[in-house]
Amino acid sequence: MTRPVLELVDVVRQYPGSPPVRALDRVNLTVLTGEWVAVIGPSGSGKSTLLNLMGALDQPTSGTVRIDGYDVAGLDDERLSALRGHSLGFVFQSFHLLASLTAWENVATALVYRGVPAAERRDRAAAAMTRVGLGHRIGHRPAQLSGGECQRVAIARALVGEPALVLADEPTGNLDTRTGEEIMGLFRELNGDGTTLVLITHDPAIAASAPRRVRIRDGRIVASELDGVTG
Amino acid sequence: MTVSPVASGVDEQQQPRRLQRSVLTFRDALGLGVVGLRGRRGRALLTSVGIAIGIAAIVAVIGISASSKANVLAVLDQLGTNYLTVTPGQSLAGDDTPQLPPDSVGRLSLLDHVQSVAATAHLDVIVRRSDQMPPTNTRGTVVLAAEPDLLTTLNGHLRSGHWLAAGPRSYPTVVIGATAARRQGVDLAAGDQLLWIGDQWFAVVGVLDAMPLAPELDNAALISTEVATQKFGYQGSPTTVYLRASPADMDGVRDVAAATADPTSPQEVDVTRPSDALEARAATDTAFTTLLLGLGGVALLVGGVGIANVMVISVLERRNEIGVRRALGATRRHIRTQFLVEALVQAALGGVAGVALGTAITVGYGLSMDWPIEVPFAGLAGGVLAALVVGGLAGLYPASRAARLEPAQAVRPI
Repeated sequence: MTRPVLELVDVVRQYPGSPPVRALDRVNLTVLTGEWVAVIGPSGSGKSTLLNLMGALDQPTSGTVRIDGYDVAGLDDERLSALRGHSLGFVFQSFHLLASLTAWENVATALVYRGVPAAERRDRAAAAMTRVGLGHRIGHRPAQLSGGECQRVAIARALVGEPALVLADEPTGNLDTRTGEEIMGLFRELNGDGTTLVLITHDPAIAASAPRRVRIRDGRIVASELDGVTG
Repeated sequence: MTVSPVASGVDEQQQPRRLQRSVLTFRDALGLGVVGLRGRRGRALLTSVGIAIGIAAIVAVIGISASSKANVLAVLDQLGTNYLTVTPGQSLAGDDTPQLPPDSVGRLSLLDHVQSVAATAHLDVIVRRSDQMPPTNTRGTVVLAAEPDLLTTLNGHLRSGHWLAAGPRSYPTVVIGATAARRQGVDLAAGDQLLWIGDQWFAVVGVLDAMPLAPELDNAALISTEVATQKFGYQGSPTTVYLRASPADMDGVRDVAAATADPTSPQEVDVTRPSDALEARAATDTAFTTLLLGLGGVALLVGGVGIANVMVISVLERRNEIGVRRALGATRRHIRTQFLVEALVQAALGGVAGVALGTAITVGYGLSMDWPIEVPFAGLAGGVLAALVVGGLAGLYPASRAARLEPAQAVRPI
């Protein structure tokens, strides 16, 4: 039986001001284990706010956000951080690799805060690098890698902790079309292996890779499309 | 360590597992601090230099002053501390200048435990390099009548020549002190030397080494008491009596010296122990030492402000790194620890470099002064500790700024 990895129930996120800005307005969304969902919306639609809530980087004004079974409401900084570290993997548009670390050290950083011993971190980082097709580049620094390679390292970093959910924010936004397609191919492969993915993008062509697509506009979900039949 | 997730009114069965806490081991924290600096080597080094200068100044001041004290003590050890000087003091009536009785030397030499006594007397005559010089040009040299035992009593040494010959026959000979010889340009190696004392020539027969326990002799031209009596009408009343006693009985001798020297008015006699003055001088150097320590402290403070400054900039530049680490599970506390460790590592680097530099300065200065070298271990440990304290304080503010950064803001592309 598939379990919900992510549940948003009547989620509202309002930013203070006069008048207050309602970035998300009663959003309901459930992502099941093994799913790949694309959230599509133009800039200003509220998709960044949605990403922050799905990634436990922010708290809703009202409604419920449940990540990997944990209701984020009332979790303090310690527990929110732990939830991010254990249940979530992030892939950012501009990679956000640490320039002074080698590729494998960047990947292994995801395990530092989980208390994984150093030797095991290295092994698991190398395995994750191999999984994204960069097993031969583990000792390189980000400056020595191409944009596509950097994003693969970032994906390896998101995967290495085997999170319940990987969140990707415009992962192809800084890449050329061809490299972007390769990255989407990698995501397809990972999803095929059972990784649960939420992809956030403004680009319908990129979103088309995902079997399930959710459109967001002005803080509301306006459409939900599903290819074929899912289990 | 594990904690239960907070239920907060939601069905408990929805949160079946315990949430593992994020951790940051001591080793990893140290690693992060070092790695964080590895990426900014030049900047980290420059920042550490400030701390290094402050610590080096403090360590050098402590080391040099300790070496200087060790030197004074070594000198005293060599010279001996069993000397007293007896001089006329203040007149109680305040009318005339007190004098020591001529027989005070004889009486003092009869005291128990006194090993040797010798006196000098100030003569009211002028010494010049030659009779062609104006009488005002004495170059700071004073003329003293010296008893034959003076040199042996003070355990003094001649740099060249010999001591004043004792005996009934009196020749116009003079022995001069180390400073006086330099000022008068007297050098026995260059041949026979003459000085014009009063109204006649005196042959210089000896030059003294410096006398740390009787520095007044360094500026003196010494002639024998017989010559002083015959030529300048010396009455036999000494101005300074030098007295050597057995070291164990110094206090007892000191207590009775004044009354022995002048039984009729002992309160008009001063008895001092020159080694006390030397020790006191070593102690008064601490005022200067404190000033230098203060300057070192200011340098250290400036170094600390430098660290804080650079770290604040670093936090701004590394918003993305902070955001990523927060996304990867780092708590606010972990971020704070990371930046604090970076500050501490920089300060420790500066501290160690400063201690090394300060030690080198101490050794170099000590060697150049021919002092025994003394680098107190407590000063070295204190130097590193002070650097760490400064670094820790300097890192507090930037670290807490880094920790306060909202992760959602921090991961946004700039």
